Amino acid sequence: MSAFPPLLPKVDAVLVFDGDGTRLAGKYYGDFLKKQQGEKSLEETQTMFEKSLQQKIGGIAARPDAAEIVTVMGRTAAFAGGVNPGGGGGGDVRVVHVGPPGESELVLAYLCEGMYDALAHLMGGSTDRTMVLDNLELVFLLIDEHCDGGIILETDGSKLASAVLLRDDEGMQEGGMDQGGMPQGASQQGLPPGVSAGDMTIGQAFRQARAQFLGN
Amino acid sequence: MGDQQEENMGMSSVLKEVQELAEKFKVEEDEQYISPYAHLEKATVLQEARIFHDPVAVRENPRKCCTVIAQLLHLQNTGQFLSGTEATEVFFGVTKLFMSDDASLRRMVYLFIKDVAETCNPDDVIIVTSCLTKDMTCDVDLYRANALRVLVRIVDAAMLGAIERYVKQAVVDSSGQVSSSALVSASHLFVSSPECAAVVRRWISETQEATSSPNEMVQFHAMQLLYQIKSHDRLGVSKLVSQFSQRNSLRSPLALVLLVRYTAKLLHDEHSEGRNTGSSISEGSPVTKAGYHFLESSLRHKSELVVYEAARAICNLPATEPQDLSPAISVLQLFLSSPKPAVRFASIRTLAMVANSHPRIVSKCNEDLEALIGDTNRSIATLAITTLLKTGSENSIDRLLKQISSFLTDIADEYKITIVRSLQKLCLTYPAKHRVLVGFLSNFLREEGGFDFKRSIVSSIVALIRTVPETTESSLLHLCEFIEDCEFTMLSTQILHLLGELGPQTTAPARYIRFIYNRVILENSAVRAAAVSALAKFAASCPSLRTSIMTLMKRSLVDEDDETRDRTSIAVSVLEEAMAKYPYVAPPEDAAAEDIPADKPVDGDTAAYLLLEPLPMSFDKLERSLKAYMAAPMAMQNPEPVTLATLPVVEDTPAEIMKAQSMDAADAEISGLGDLNGLEDKKKEIVDPAAAVYAIPELAALGRAFRSSTPVQLTESETEYVVTCIKHIFENHVVLQFTVQNTIDEQRLDNVTVLVDDSGTDVFTASGEIAATGIRCGDTKHCFTILERNTEAALTSSHFTCELRFTVVQIDPVSGEEEGDSFEEEYPLEDLEVATSDFMAKVSVPDFRKAWEAVGNANEVMEKFALQFKKMEDAVSAVIDFLGMQACDGTAALKPNAGNKPHMLHMSGVFMGNQQVLSRAQIAMQGDNGSGVVLKIAVRSDDPNISRMVADCIH
Repeated sequence: MSAFPPLLPKVDAVLVFDGDGTRLAGKYYGDFLKKQQGEKSLEETQTMFEKSLQQKIGGIAARPDAAEIVTVMGRTAAFAGGVNPGGGGGGDVRVVHVGPPGESELVLAYLCEGMYDALAHLMGGSTDRTMVLDNLELVFLLIDEHCDGGIILETDGSKLASAVLLRDDEGMQEGGMDQGGMPQGASQQGLPPGVSAGDMTIGQAFRQARAQFLGN
Repeated sequence: MGDQQEENMGMSSVLKEVQELAEKFKVEEDEQYISPYAHLEKATVLQEARIFHDPVAVRENPRKCCTVIAQLLHLQNTGQFLSGTEATEVFFGVTKLFMSDDASLRRMVYLFIKDVAETCNPDDVIIVTSCLTKDMTCDVDLYRANALRVLVRIVDAAMLGAIERYVKQAVVDSSGQVSSSALVSASHLFVSSPECAAVVRRWISETQEATSSPNEMVQFHAMQLLYQIKSHDRLGVSKLVSQFSQRNSLRSPLALVLLVRYTAKLLHDEHSEGRNTGSSISEGSPVTKAGYHFLESSLRHKSELVVYEAARAICNLPATEPQDLSPAISVLQLFLSSPKPAVRFASIRTLAMVANSHPRIVSKCNEDLEALIGDTNRSIATLAITTLLKTGSENSIDRLLKQISSFLTDIADEYKITIVRSLQKLCLTYPAKHRVLVGFLSNFLREEGGFDFKRSIVSSIVALIRTVPETTESSLLHLCEFIEDCEFTMLSTQILHLLGELGPQTTAPARYIRFIYNRVILENSAVRAAAVSALAKFAASCPSLRTSIMTLMKRSLVDEDDETRDRTSIAVSVLEEAMAKYPYVAPPEDAAAEDIPADKPVDGDTAAYLLLEPLPMSFDKLERSLKAYMAAPMAMQNPEPVTLATLPVVEDTPAEIMKAQSMDAADAEISGLGDLNGLEDKKKEIVDPAAAVYAIPELAALGRAFRSSTPVQLTESETEYVVTCIKHIFENHVVLQFTVQNTIDEQRLDNVTVLVDDSGTDVFTASGEIAATGIRCGDTKHCFTILERNTEAALTSSHFTCELRFTVVQIDPVSGEEEGDSFEEEYPLEDLEVATSDFMAKVSVPDFRKAWEAVGNANEVMEKFALQFKKMEDAVSAVIDFLGMQACDGTAALKPNAGNKPHMLHMSGVFMGNQQVLSRAQIAMQGDNGSGVVLKIAVRSDDPNISRMVADCIH
């Protein structure tokens, strides 16, 4: 019999890879990889794990709404994203969720699709390496809103995106009203009112440009 | 709508502004925009982080602060970790950022504290508590949710008590974000320490309330926490499960997945704790029935998550009949054609698992499985193939193989190895298909592939040769073709060795010679040496081929490699001598087929003996045996030559016994269980147990110990004096080595002997004692008693009553000086038995059947006994114990699924005086009710008395 599904589901890692398997952001939870490291340091084990993970997922492009599954070093990993050979699709960035061996593949895929959706939202639809790297702080916040110490906090893509952008759900529906309690700062960091998630690329370009300008 | 309009306007104005800005940049600096996260250096970032201490900058430019925090976090990704002091310094800087009320910045501060909390000194971290508590009680949901999550990382149970009220409120907060954060934080607290868990337990009614929240994630988190709190309370869990499965109030698919898991766990516990005894659901207990009903109804849920979870739970249930599984299998079958790879993967993985125990039920999915062989996800395709190999019927194999071969070329080695293993298993199930399957495996050998892949094929083929002998000839030819073009030296040498061993016994040995000789011409030195050895074996076992092989081998006499040349010279000289002595006479050409004698070397052929007979023991054992020989007193002054027959007998080490018992080492290696290498590495230097005896000059005259028993306890291990005994068997004596340990502080034991009462036996007389003296507390010393054996009398098991005798000297436990009197003391010990089996060394033979026939039945003793054992396993191990022999051919373990068929046990050993003893025992259950077993035993040796004595060991 295979291992029982965990009664307290936790993910072992949430990782964001670029097309070459370099980790752009990510977090490992619990003592995953800590037990088996032996004389190697934790970082080395992580690098080793990520290498073998990349070997398996490297050639596959997963549709954003249909995560692919592989098993790596006895763990189940679901990932979404990657470049489609025939063009199209988002960017080369992949979102990977690693779970314990008994975890349901469907649950992992569900989580992964949710987070990828949010990431695509935040990046204005183009999830490629440079875009993600330029907006790393959003990715950090996304991972934090998505998963707290291994326990999944929120899976819905649009809710996650609005939480990262400091808008609550209602705010989103009302057309981007900023939340109370931060009257002045809002125009500087969130999105300017009237810009919906669809044309975020421009919105973000604007914001960055402005921040850079003000910083000089 | 206005929104839309505004958006369009916004678009154009934004674009304009961006363009303007871009132009401004061009004027100011002629540089490209660089990502703030590219090429980060720790020192630079730390420098930047000083901005946190400047209140003006923080107030004016919160964006800048955010970026710096993100840069700090990103440093880790690039492998630049902050040291303890650096982290603390930055941490204090970050705490200053609490004075800004910029929301984004606050959010980053939370994130940073959480990340750094683990690496910083907890005493430093604690200073942010007040800021966090303030945020936790404010009215901004976002602040509250995040502050809560950060706070629980740094509080202990005492502080938790202080904020308990707020957390409890937060659990039932109307905002989903806050409620979820509180519940998840509680889950973390619950496992962090027992004190915190005690606090969390008090929130059970709030948690219960949260399960009916409209927010799906809150339901999920509340469910999880509720179960955590109740998990050690069986009735509580049972109530939880039945309550939620009937009320049907959970909307969140994730929460339902949890509920399915809890139900499945409940049913497993019900079974393992013996409350559910039925063999299927319909005969099960009420809890089982209700649980199954819930699982089955979940199969019709609209979310795939829940459906799959229920299907998997049903497939994993204990004590199920095929009809209980079939609704789940139908669902999984539908999933197989899902467009989502994760769904296909999950369902095929579950089906593959079910196929192990119930291949028949899964076989109805065969068509869908075949469609998956071409799946783009290679893991799915591989699983589909391995499952099909389990569920397929004999006549579908050919078709299946055809499909596999088209698929194999483009998958990774890892998957190929999995398929090779399944093919090997399949061949064991359908031996009649061996020709096709072995042919298929051999085709694999020609494919591109790494060493591990090739090795797994070769070991599969070799394992099949051993288990399905019909495959031998075709497999050997396939392997021959493989070594023609094999880049792996290790595999080539292994195959050449195998050819030398098995080739000569085939119908046409001559056809292998060409392959082997090609290796001599073309390969590197290791392979050449192996090839020469193989040729020599062919020549030795087939006299008709000797002349031609000699011609080939003589060319290697000038080989540039020493090892090859040496092997050749030995083989050539031995063979030439044998050919001169027993020239081969070819049968006349017109002789009828049946008149042609078998192509075998004549008896007494020296070449056959030298080249074909294996060493009677492994090198490892030979080494140990020689060491034991040298350890015996006066051994090196002995004028007699050392021969294999006079070497001391060495028993198998536990590692070797393990190896023999693991049925088939090759199989273990294939199934990935091959830990044997690990075992051998750990093997300790084996100490000759008789060394203590050799150290006593008075005992030197006894000669060399034949064997030594394992220590026997003569007292309980917690008594004042702990005594164990090792029996050393000598030719005419038995030396009892008593190991005495003193555990009393104030006593020193002098003149310690063990009085052995020999009145109960005729075979032994106690002829001498050697006392131990000065045993202090904690010390362990040895004393000896010598028993003289009456060699005229037959050995039977003898019992001796033993008594420890010693002089107690009172001492001061601290200084160790004598104080007070000394007196004689006696201490009764348990009885000691010297059994016939003590005179038997556990030594295995390489080939039991051959050895059994070689000894012959001249001195065979057969006996039949009825024994009182309830179980076959017990009877088998008891018989091995009685005789003190080594079980051979893996017969110590019962065959799986043999039912009540009789078990054949093969045992070998060497009896006192280097007499080989072999025995076969048949053990069968008597009747059906397990009232006892019938043992039929046959013992063979060269001496009828020994055979008789051994057979009489059964009692």
